[in-house]
Amino acid sequence: MTAAVVTLCVVVALLTLLVVALLRSHAEILRQLHELRSGVVPAASGAGGAPGFQTRPGVPMPRTGDAVGVDLHGMSPRGDAIAVAVRGQEHRTLVAFLTSGCLTCRSFWASFAEPEALGLRPDVRLVVVTKDPDQESVSDIAALAPAAVPVLMSTAAWDDYDVPMAPYFALVDGPTGAVVGEGASTGWVQVRELMDRALADTTVLRDLRTRGGATGGRDRDTDSELLRSGIEPGDPRLHHGVGPAPEDPS
Amino acid sequence: MQLVSQTARLAVDVPAGFEARVSNRAPDPADDSVSGAAGGGLGLVHVATFPLPTDIGDFGGGATPTMAFNDILVVLLEYGRESVGTALFSRQGRPRLTVADFDENQLQHNLAGQSGSQSFFVENGRAWCLYVVLGSHLNRARAVPVVNDVVSSIAIN
Repeated sequence: MTAAVVTLCVVVALLTLLVVALLRSHAEILRQLHELRSGVVPAASGAGGAPGFQTRPGVPMPRTGDAVGVDLHGMSPRGDAIAVAVRGQEHRTLVAFLTSGCLTCRSFWASFAEPEALGLRPDVRLVVVTKDPDQESVSDIAALAPAAVPVLMSTAAWDDYDVPMAPYFALVDGPTGAVVGEGASTGWVQVRELMDRALADTTVLRDLRTRGGATGGRDRDTDSELLRSGIEPGDPRLHHGVGPAPEDPS
Repeated sequence: MQLVSQTARLAVDVPAGFEARVSNRAPDPADDSVSGAAGGGLGLVHVATFPLPTDIGDFGGGATPTMAFNDILVVLLEYGRESVGTALFSRQGRPRLTVADFDENQLQHNLAGQSGSQSFFVENGRAWCLYVVLGSHLNRARAVPVVNDVVSSIAIN
């Protein structure tokens, strides 16, 4: 009898453990399903600063960290060896990564034949980069190359800029050497919008850094003016507009 | 960054912030004597502190009008093998330029304020003209050492 009771107790204890384990497993499954639906992924999955999400197949992941422009060197379709400086320059450089084969690239080759019609800002220089002659048709590139735009063949540049597809564009800020805008595009209007937005953002950020904040410069001016008038931090006159007005002593 | 042209048998160490183009100009088919020492094309090097236009002339035509005060253009242009041994190319080896070598009247196209220098020499059996343009004659003292660094970095094979 005692043995039966003890055996029963052990079986009940084991079953209890099994039920607890099943409940915990179920709770974990529910939690992960909830995270998947809400798009929340634990930070640990973004190792190395990578974003905690995946893009659809064929769509490149956004860059992690700040991209830096690299000076370009390669071969021209005529066989010249060319080096183009993009860093440490006063101007910006719009690097267009094109191929001779892709249909979308064709419209860009055609547009670049008339650079004056592109509406490029005067401080932006356009440079076209294709892959090396062993991965491109030199004769096709020579036929497509616009007369007034530098064209160089350099797979190394594609690697340096981590180009995921063609056509692809990178805008390099000459003074800082930073890539201030980049992306794929299907038309020149899109590229120009991308570029204008990137340049506007760069200008705003540069201003903020220079001024030490959105109102940093104005605040400093105000502080100086107040100090010159003998009003220091904590002076009650700074707070006269807050709360009840002081009583007239007379 | 080193820029190498196997066809022109030239190499240039391009300093940071500089642009360069190394070309192998086609020989003149009408004149057998007008060809490089190897019987092929004629070498041409442009090194500049400013963006080189695609249609730059051999002596910087089309580029020099855009030069600013601090700008430098170095041109190394090969002449045909018939030039080797002539009086103009009697100098052996590339020159090291001094401030005195620059003059406002040594330019292919005179532009106000700019300065130029032109020297002829033979190196490795090839005849060369070294042509340098400075954005400002007033800047020659600062620019000449930079020019010499660029010129000495060019390998003629």
